[in-house]
Amino acid sequence: MKHLKPINSKAHQVTAARKEDTLEEVVAMQTVVGCTGTTDPGWEVDAFGGVAGLCQPMESDLYGCADPCWWPAQVPDVMNTYPDWDKGADSAGSDWRKLGEVFPSDK
Amino acid sequence: MVKSLNSVVRRLVAPVGLWTATMLAPLYATAEINAGEELLRNRCMGCHVPEQNEPLQLSRISHQRKTPEGWLMSIARMQMVHGAQITSDERRTLVKFLADTQGLTPQESAPYRYILERRLNHIEDKQPQLAEMCARCHSEARVGLQRRDAGEWEHLVNFHLGQWPSIEYSAMGRDRDWLGLALNEVVPFLDKNYGLQKDHWQQWLDSEKASPIGEWRLVGSMPGRGDFHGVMKVIADGEDRYRLNLTGKFADGKSLRGKGQALVYSGYEWRADITLGKEKFQQVLAMNPQGDRFEGRMFLKQQETLGVNLTASRADKPSLLAVSPAFIEAGKSQQISVRGTQLSGDVSLGPGIEVLKVLKRGKNEIRLKVRARKGLETQALDVRVGEQNLAGGLRVYDRIDSLQVSPAYAVARVGDGGGSQEKVKAAFEARAYGAGEDGVNGTADDIYIGTMPANWSLAPFDQQAIEDRDLDFVGKIDRRTGVFTPAAAGPNSKRKYGTNNAGRMSVIASVGQGDNKQEAKAELIVTVQRWNNPPIR
Repeated sequence: MKHLKPINSKAHQVTAARKEDTLEEVVAMQTVVGCTGTTDPGWEVDAFGGVAGLCQPMESDLYGCADPCWWPAQVPDVMNTYPDWDKGADSAGSDWRKLGEVFPSDK
Repeated sequence: MVKSLNSVVRRLVAPVGLWTATMLAPLYATAEINAGEELLRNRCMGCHVPEQNEPLQLSRISHQRKTPEGWLMSIARMQMVHGAQITSDERRTLVKFLADTQGLTPQESAPYRYILERRLNHIEDKQPQLAEMCARCHSEARVGLQRRDAGEWEHLVNFHLGQWPSIEYSAMGRDRDWLGLALNEVVPFLDKNYGLQKDHWQQWLDSEKASPIGEWRLVGSMPGRGDFHGVMKVIADGEDRYRLNLTGKFADGKSLRGKGQALVYSGYEWRADITLGKEKFQQVLAMNPQGDRFEGRMFLKQQETLGVNLTASRADKPSLLAVSPAFIEAGKSQQISVRGTQLSGDVSLGPGIEVLKVLKRGKNEIRLKVRARKGLETQALDVRVGEQNLAGGLRVYDRIDSLQVSPAYAVARVGDGGGSQEKVKAAFEARAYGAGEDGVNGTADDIYIGTMPANWSLAPFDQQAIEDRDLDFVGKIDRRTGVFTPAAAGPNSKRKYGTNNAGRMSVIASVGQGDNKQEAKAELIVTVQRWNNPPIR
């Protein structure tokens, strides 16, 4: 890490959080049951416990999450489990309404 | 009427004619046992290898035990990922069969009932061994509600890595020997604490089971609607299947009336679908081994965060269930209802509470006008009716020392807007406390007084929320009920970067006025939708 320098504000925040040793505190805030604690950049919340560091809007990078199964419990992964989830919705930004629930509705 | 689940298993393994009419009745009809086993043979044996024929043992399947919801999720995954061909009816039959023959005992499911009851804002007290390995993506409950032998837990680790390869390099996966830790540390932990433990299940199978048929009296509460009471009549509709009628009323005057169907899994897991007026509810309740008490939750099927915390008692057995309202201010008089079943005998509400008038004396409700003596200090009082006791059932208070918003941290999700996901609301309550003997708020001796009517409002949580104008976009909170409804899903061109209607809010409850005004805050994350919503998150 010593060869990496933050050059934008979000990167500065990450560095500051590491220095302040507050990462444990942040993780503790993300324990609402069933929400992901994987925080780069985060699905429900970002690494600072807020939402300003999430992808904005989420749809701009949704398939960047779905393709590599980044949050498979929340976002259907199209690598293995739901390969057709995004079929016919080529642009998440304009086609997000076509994306459906994956668990059978008669649960 | 009692019966033994073990008879189900015996019927699976016994030669025809060995069991006679003198034996306990089977919990599950023979035809359905055969149907369940037949489905295992016809729908699962294409992949799962038979390890034994009598009784049928299949690879993987026979080395696990789960809740009904757990089996449903496994079978649904077989359909979605592995192309298992199975109808919805067949899946229901299989879930019932597997939950009855390889389920969890009441003791095993007890620590994790919040996930079955869809308490979506529950904060888990995670075990360190599972927090980063398992519960960084889903609940710890999802793990804790399974029993597997060591080989099966190992298969589950390998399955995770094969199915979701990035598990090793997403946050809390990378920078360590993820697979080594999973196999060498977490699998032994799981085997020790959540091993297959067939003997536990066998003991439960061998015990007598109660029937839910009859009349039940319900009490509970729902955020935004207040205390609830009702009656549920259960009649048989086939083996382990029931029809029910439910009538009830909330403290805000709103009534419920409707019908539903229920199924009991594993000898105690009550699951019901009920239509009450225009609303569809689901009940997830656990029946105690004596068969005279239900505990659980009834929630809206399409809005799981809104629901009634329920306790039910069999109407023909004596019980003292609740007092409503459950708190009274010192020096004031008010009406209260003492609710239960087969109530008889003298009523005692504790020292300093005087009964001014008996307004109604019934076996299910005693309605009283009472006065709390002036000068009483805040305390919880035991309520007695005859032989029945309700510890701390009535609280008297001289002042509110502190207020807390519950849940203190909640997640709501944007939805609708033409998309497939409903908005996920959040419901809050204002809980009042006395400081207790030490006079200090927030210590162990604080006395819970009750849930107070409050005025509700939102404010930006921090400077970032102010700069992003979150308050203008995230949604609205009902000033009277404390129920937050998020805004629509999708990118919003009116926001910076066209971002979603997400935000970080403070939820503020205000109780009382002037010098007696108390305020408390909770944190509310309004975030984006999820498209994967199995019953166990």
